[in-house]
Amino acid sequence: MLEHVSRSPLHAFGLPLQATAINDTRGVWANELPSLGYVSLRGDSKDRTFVEKVTHSLGVALPTSPCTYAGTDGAKVLWISPDEWLIVSQRDRIGSLAADLKAALQGVRSQVADNSGGYTQVLLRGRNALDVLQHTTVYDFAALEPGRVVGTTFGKSSVYAHRSGEGFCLVMRRSFADYIWRYLVRAAAPYGLGIAVVETTGHAALVVA
Amino acid sequence: MTSHRIRHEKARVDFGRPISFHFDGKSYTGYAGDTLASALLANGVRMLGRSFKYGRPRGIVGAGAEEPNALTQVETGAATIPNLKATQVELYDGLTARRTTGWPALDFDLKSVSGRFSRFMPAGFYYKTFQSRALWPKFEHVIRQAAGYGSAPEEADLDSYDHSHRHAEVVVVGGGPCGLLTALNLGRAGLNVTLLDEQRELGGWLLSYPHAIIDGQPGYDWLKNIIAELRSLPRVQIFTRTSAFALHDLNLIQAVEQLQDHLPLAERSETSPRQRLHRIRASHIVLATGAIERPLVFGNNDLPGILTASALTTYLNRYGVAVGRRVVMQTSNDFAYQGACDLARAGCSVVLADTRTRPNTVWEQRAHAAGVDVRPGYAISGALGSRAVKAAKLVKISADQNSISGDGPTIECDALGSSGGLSPTVHLYCHDGGRPHWDEEKLAFVAPAMGRAATGIYCVGGITGTFGLQPALMQAHEVSDAVLAATGKASVGERRSIETDEPNAIPARRIFRVPDGKVEGHGKKAFVDFQNDVTAADIHLAVRENYRSIEHIKRYTALGFGTDQGKLSNVNGFAIAAEALGKSIPDVGTTTYRPAYSPVTFGTLAGPHEGDTFEPKRYTPMHASHVARGAVFENVGQWLRPQYFLKAGEDQDAAIRRECIAARRGVGIMDASTLGKIDLQGKDAREFLNRVYANSWTQLAPGKCRYGLMLDENGMVMDDGVTACISDEHFAMTTTTGGAARVLSWLENWHQTEWPDLDVYMTSVTDHWATAAVVGPKSREVLAKVCSDIDLSPSSFKFMDWREGTVAGVAARVFRISFSGELAFEVNVDANYGYHLWEALLAAGAEFDITPYGTDAMHLLRAEKGFIIVGQDTDGSMTPFDLDMAWAVSMKKPFSFIGKRSFARSDTAGPNRKQLVGLLTEDPSIVLAEGAQIIEAPEVNPPVAMLGHVTSSYFSPELGRSIALAVVRDGIKRRSPEGQNAGRDRLFAYFGGQTHRVQVVSPVFVDPKGERQNA
Repeated sequence: MLEHVSRSPLHAFGLPLQATAINDTRGVWANELPSLGYVSLRGDSKDRTFVEKVTHSLGVALPTSPCTYAGTDGAKVLWISPDEWLIVSQRDRIGSLAADLKAALQGVRSQVADNSGGYTQVLLRGRNALDVLQHTTVYDFAALEPGRVVGTTFGKSSVYAHRSGEGFCLVMRRSFADYIWRYLVRAAAPYGLGIAVVETTGHAALVVA
Repeated sequence: MTSHRIRHEKARVDFGRPISFHFDGKSYTGYAGDTLASALLANGVRMLGRSFKYGRPRGIVGAGAEEPNALTQVETGAATIPNLKATQVELYDGLTARRTTGWPALDFDLKSVSGRFSRFMPAGFYYKTFQSRALWPKFEHVIRQAAGYGSAPEEADLDSYDHSHRHAEVVVVGGGPCGLLTALNLGRAGLNVTLLDEQRELGGWLLSYPHAIIDGQPGYDWLKNIIAELRSLPRVQIFTRTSAFALHDLNLIQAVEQLQDHLPLAERSETSPRQRLHRIRASHIVLATGAIERPLVFGNNDLPGILTASALTTYLNRYGVAVGRRVVMQTSNDFAYQGACDLARAGCSVVLADTRTRPNTVWEQRAHAAGVDVRPGYAISGALGSRAVKAAKLVKISADQNSISGDGPTIECDALGSSGGLSPTVHLYCHDGGRPHWDEEKLAFVAPAMGRAATGIYCVGGITGTFGLQPALMQAHEVSDAVLAATGKASVGERRSIETDEPNAIPARRIFRVPDGKVEGHGKKAFVDFQNDVTAADIHLAVRENYRSIEHIKRYTALGFGTDQGKLSNVNGFAIAAEALGKSIPDVGTTTYRPAYSPVTFGTLAGPHEGDTFEPKRYTPMHASHVARGAVFENVGQWLRPQYFLKAGEDQDAAIRRECIAARRGVGIMDASTLGKIDLQGKDAREFLNRVYANSWTQLAPGKCRYGLMLDENGMVMDDGVTACISDEHFAMTTTTGGAARVLSWLENWHQTEWPDLDVYMTSVTDHWATAAVVGPKSREVLAKVCSDIDLSPSSFKFMDWREGTVAGVAARVFRISFSGELAFEVNVDANYGYHLWEALLAAGAEFDITPYGTDAMHLLRAEKGFIIVGQDTDGSMTPFDLDMAWAVSMKKPFSFIGKRSFARSDTAGPNRKQLVGLLTEDPSIVLAEGAQIIEAPEVNPPVAMLGHVTSSYFSPELGRSIALAVVRDGIKRRSPEGQNAGRDRLFAYFGGQTHRVQVVSPVFVDPKGERQNA
């Protein structure tokens, strides 16, 4: 509806115009996944009613073990802390998702807050993706297993990170995205950074040539 | 010129690849594989500078990180690097370097004159001479200039640097034979191993010992095989040119990798960093850092051409350089023999004085076979020469004590090498609290092999005092097995004995200072620390002056300071101090080993934290709009906010005046996106607000907003902001821009630790909302043009109401709140639409000349209304009552609120507190300085009672005069009219040496009845 006037946090870098399909010429490829929807969810993971109602409403089992995520193409739920989750979904679905969730949790101790303007994410892949991440944060990304999500430092800021296909997905706050992107560009310079085309239909991913 | 080159096939330089370089303005030729030091020695360059204190000629002493003298300034301009040790600079084509000492010129050094008066420059010279602070500035410039060393670059660094965070099961530090064998054993067993070595190629001491036979193979072949296998193991990572310079708690190693320093400038990549800082967290660390040979201390031992015996050996074997052709060496141990033999076989005449009367017979035979003239029971008591060593004076020394028992010959020579034994490189072991212990048999401070195995730190080889190659390799097997056992891995491959051709070592002689038959201080200077010009006599003097602790002796004499950190000098210094103190060496102990092991550039430490990645810069969604409209930005925390918008021909004051007038008379617009925003939900959200704010939230209905004061436990204002009731169980809080993160943690802390029973959750939505404040009498008309689904009429949408609706086609929350005292609407939308909203409001306001304004105008507008800024008008000692804001405190709430109890403290409740007031200067054109002191009388006769200070001060365009806010003792009662009636409203503000008469008034200067904001 209003997509033409929407500006993602990394809009200023003009990434879509630079994007090409991934090839062998660069060690690392990245781009922003703009225009996703985000909902912050809080509640007590020991409260079975809460867990059941969230699971039922989202159609995704609420991940309650630390540093894990669950989800489908429709909605991904990242464990943030013992009583906090971040739900990521397609932008046009987020309004109804939040409303449904709120309705389902009527009377249950919880919080559902639309945070769609507050976050964005960057996908990173390529033979040197791991090297680049090592330049940015103390976390041992080589040891990060699929299905796990970690909140960790990124330079002097922070990200939530998980594996995504053959690469990594970094979820970051809007106002820090500029810094994080610049830091990423700097860290990737020795390996060559390519801006990859983003597949937006269905499961979001970077397009390989 | 090339007479110093010995072209032998074992040399690790490529004689087929000559390299030209420049030193001190002259051109020379070296070969690929040379260091700057080896190339200079090959070219016969001996004197590389003058010493720090006495201006004595100095040359190369060592062959690696231990080098104290050969500090060079490499390259020029932006690429220049000061104080690199020539022994660590790899030669590349076109390298340009110069010496860093010797002032004003190498041939004539000012200090060499003072050197003749050196009895007047004893230990502690600077402390003694410059106890008068008045004298120091006069001498500082000359002394610093004369003391020399390199110059910091004056241009911006063109290179980039980065950091890399790694994790390893095992880090092995040191790529000598022990480190390699340990890494191989662990790598074969499948462990993730990171091997670090500071040299350009692996091998450590083996590179200086090419004739070794290990396991039946020539040493180099053994080396080649082991390196090849290591490189084939997928979980083994090898970093050469990587110096581990620090070991911190929990097995964190910091190492700097030189990625480009060895390349000619033109071949260096612009996209790659020059150096990389590795921070490696390891489960297990194996320190195979080896040992460094220390020289013996004797008279004139600092002449150019006098090196450690191991350096002479290294230059010959590794670099194909004979430092001299007529070599005299002295030793206290077996380790100098190999080099002596090699030098003799290379065609040098070699005399080896062994301070022991009974040398190792195997070595003695080998030395004779090689043509070395061994002189058992002799030592070199002094060297002769002026700018280079010319001869060595031998004396016979007693078998049982370190004294002269007879005369000896004076032997002409052009190179002199000495060995006082090996000092294990225990630095890393000691960085995080480990202490080495003195091994009287090895005459060395050593680290134990099982190091601190409980915390995963192991030591192997020279660092443990295991100096022989064969026992060290066997120790590598033992340590490998211990690490494997600790990691639960089975060892792969047999642990058979590894034989070498090295004779079994016999004990060394316990000697550090070679006697010269004179009382210490009366003979020729015998240097312990070359870089700091510390002699054996200086250490004795320090002890005579009653310095007892080695840490104090170090600081008094400067022993062990500097870029070499005493790698050659410390143990000799400790031993000489022990003798002077009449204590044992372990009783004296060592000084403290601290990072960095060797110097690290600032660029490496800073890494990516510079330029536009120095610090996060947070931008609002409207940033591009502000840039396009000439905004000048200021940092507010990490946020960039427009401070004012410059139009052509305007200065800052004019811009602020224009912006304020627009907001007061027409319409202005301000980006308020940076305010902290916290969403609170839950049945008890309202009660939670009652407890964290001073005022009451019980009656706030959905659709309404309220200003709140947040207090700390002491009852002092810590934050403020407007909170809206979205529904009975849902509130939207705003905080100050800088306070957002702190307030959220504060709320979570109180909720989680004190009131977990309250049904409430809170989430930061600061980044979700973009906020545009439309401000001024015309704001309603502007908003009406882009918002059709909210009734904006004054009767329906009142001050402190909020409404949900659509603005510029986007779902919005509109708050009718005001930080300017004008009619104002704050429009909040999803930040993705922030830019769109801003542009739409500017377009809608064009016909009203809508004016974007920045933080400067915002500050002025709020000051005219007496609205506080927490942290500017308050300082953590202001209660709501001090701010005359009793209206924002509800003492009737059933449950207490944070800070309430502190109101009863005698001081908080007492009289004469500093309180917020307005000030008007008698002269309306004078704008007081913020921070100006408020005093009672115009005369300043110290001590003057300080009644308070100015917190905010501006020239108000609206009033055409200056205004100020201040905190003043008992200020509220001093305000007009009450204060005027009592004659207490007249005070003085003092700043810049002048007093200004001021009147204390209400802080609300504009529209005291609030008619405008309610319009």
